[in-house]
Amino acid sequence: MAVVRGSRKKVFVMNSARYIFVGIICTLVIFPLYWMVVTAIQPPNVTLQYPPVLYPVHPNLLGFKQLFHGNPMGRWLLNSGFVASITTIITVSFSILGAYSISYFKWRGRAAFAFLLLFTQMMPEALIVIPIFKIYDRLHLLNQLPALSLIHAAFVIPVGVWILRPAFESIPKEVNEAASIDGCTDMAILRKIVLPLTSPAIIAVGVVSFFASWGDYLMAVTMISKKELYPASVGLASTMSQLDTPIQTLLSGALLYGLPPVILYMFIQRFVISGLTAGAIKG
Amino acid sequence: MKKVKSSRVSRSRLPYLLALPIIALSFFLVLYPIIQGIYISLTDKTLGAATGKKVSFVGLRNYNELLHSSAFLNSLRLTVIYAIMNVIFSVGAGLITALTVNKKFRGRGGVRALLTAPWAFPDIASVIIFIWILNSAFGVIGIINVHLPFDTSGGWLTSSPYAFISVVGISMWKTFPFYSIVILSALQGVPEDLLEAATVDGAGPIQRFRTVILPSIRPTVLLLSLLAFIFAFRQFSMIYLTTGGGPERDTETLVLMVYNTAFKYFDYAFSSAIGVAGLIVTVAVASTYLLLTGRSEKGAR
Repeated sequence: MAVVRGSRKKVFVMNSARYIFVGIICTLVIFPLYWMVVTAIQPPNVTLQYPPVLYPVHPNLLGFKQLFHGNPMGRWLLNSGFVASITTIITVSFSILGAYSISYFKWRGRAAFAFLLLFTQMMPEALIVIPIFKIYDRLHLLNQLPALSLIHAAFVIPVGVWILRPAFESIPKEVNEAASIDGCTDMAILRKIVLPLTSPAIIAVGVVSFFASWGDYLMAVTMISKKELYPASVGLASTMSQLDTPIQTLLSGALLYGLPPVILYMFIQRFVISGLTAGAIKG
Repeated sequence: MKKVKSSRVSRSRLPYLLALPIIALSFFLVLYPIIQGIYISLTDKTLGAATGKKVSFVGLRNYNELLHSSAFLNSLRLTVIYAIMNVIFSVGAGLITALTVNKKFRGRGGVRALLTAPWAFPDIASVIIFIWILNSAFGVIGIINVHLPFDTSGGWLTSSPYAFISVVGISMWKTFPFYSIVILSALQGVPEDLLEAATVDGAGPIQRFRTVILPSIRPTVLLLSLLAFIFAFRQFSMIYLTTGGGPERDTETLVLMVYNTAFKYFDYAFSSAIGVAGLIVTVAVASTYLLLTGRSEKGAR
């Protein structure tokens, strides 16, 4: 009896410790985001008080209003959406073809192709941003949004292929063989069998590529110098360096720009894991 | 008869045709720029005003200069320390979080969803938040500052060593929750009966972790460590926009040095040489990755 009571007490202590630990972790993760929301919805004079008040006082939406008033923020968000859409179209179509090639066919050079993808995924873009800048300068592709999409696509395609590959390989061989005997060509198999069966993974590639492009700063700031063509990342960064931007406006911008990927990523979590780990963890 | 033959020909070409768009794009935007960069690193080319200057071939002079440049060696050292700290703290915190969250408790699903948020949050938005939180005059960090046993009045992003600590902290915030989700999914593969058997045999939590849990999640943890290393090595905008590489050059990792050398000091050739050094690191890391995953795949079979 005493033993049981002792172990029950121990379990209670362990459980409480777990809740406390999880609570601390959640606070650490969520506090910066919470603080962004608080700052975005309260007037600057409250924000600049010391000591800071940890909950919103006089909440209002003036920050968002100013964002669209003084700065072409709406335009910048639209630019980002445009660049990201084109990136998504390129990435999804190229990744489907590449993943089909790598998961259905044995061909010479396949290993080299896989290494090229891996290398592209791992290489810091910053190492070659200047040669790309020079090439774009020569070809008059600077300040062209679709040309920026092309760069984004080049660097996110490996992730797309790694997300699609295990999904493609999970379709039983018998299904494809049966289709092949029935006279389906390889492209028809891709279109009629593989794509419909793997649509969740394809949607995941779409989301990942859209927000990879949406989140990029380095390529955009190097290739785009006209203010009206800025994507939101570059626009926000330029607002940040202007000393007279009210803090409420700035944080409203961060909120508006940062929230969409957070919401959508929650739905495609497991695909991101497989793309990130290059489909390598099978055991 | 004729039809069969033509389909066979197209079948052998098809995989190449399918891969062609990616290969072409990679050649145009990855391989060609790399070749260009290697070529430039062998010249004395500059960017900007001095465009009229004749560019001449200087052989390995830039590389010789590189090996004797204290800024470069310092940057290399910083990059390695930054990457190792990312591995230790982000993967370590991810592991501890995953082990804690792995038990069933109320609100677990919500916690898991929450843990995705920082990873998905764009760099620039994170930068804005942290610059504001760490602001030396009005930042909410001020509440903590007064209780610290050391003087941070120089500013968390503008004085040493706090700027470095801050950039490590920001990237830790961004990555460890996500790593914990990845480890969490690997933890689902830990054999339940083995765990029970170990408990019956009187193994404590630490022993259970060492003998049952760790062996089965080791490939994932190793892989994540490598990914954390790569993440840190690639990280540009989060450091560039918070500290710009400063104070002095105390947070100038390799990628920042490449950028600053070209766009701040206009020394395109020297910047390219640093870039080539970075590419060598990338190839080494990618090869290590292949070695690791190849082995773990064999182990799984």
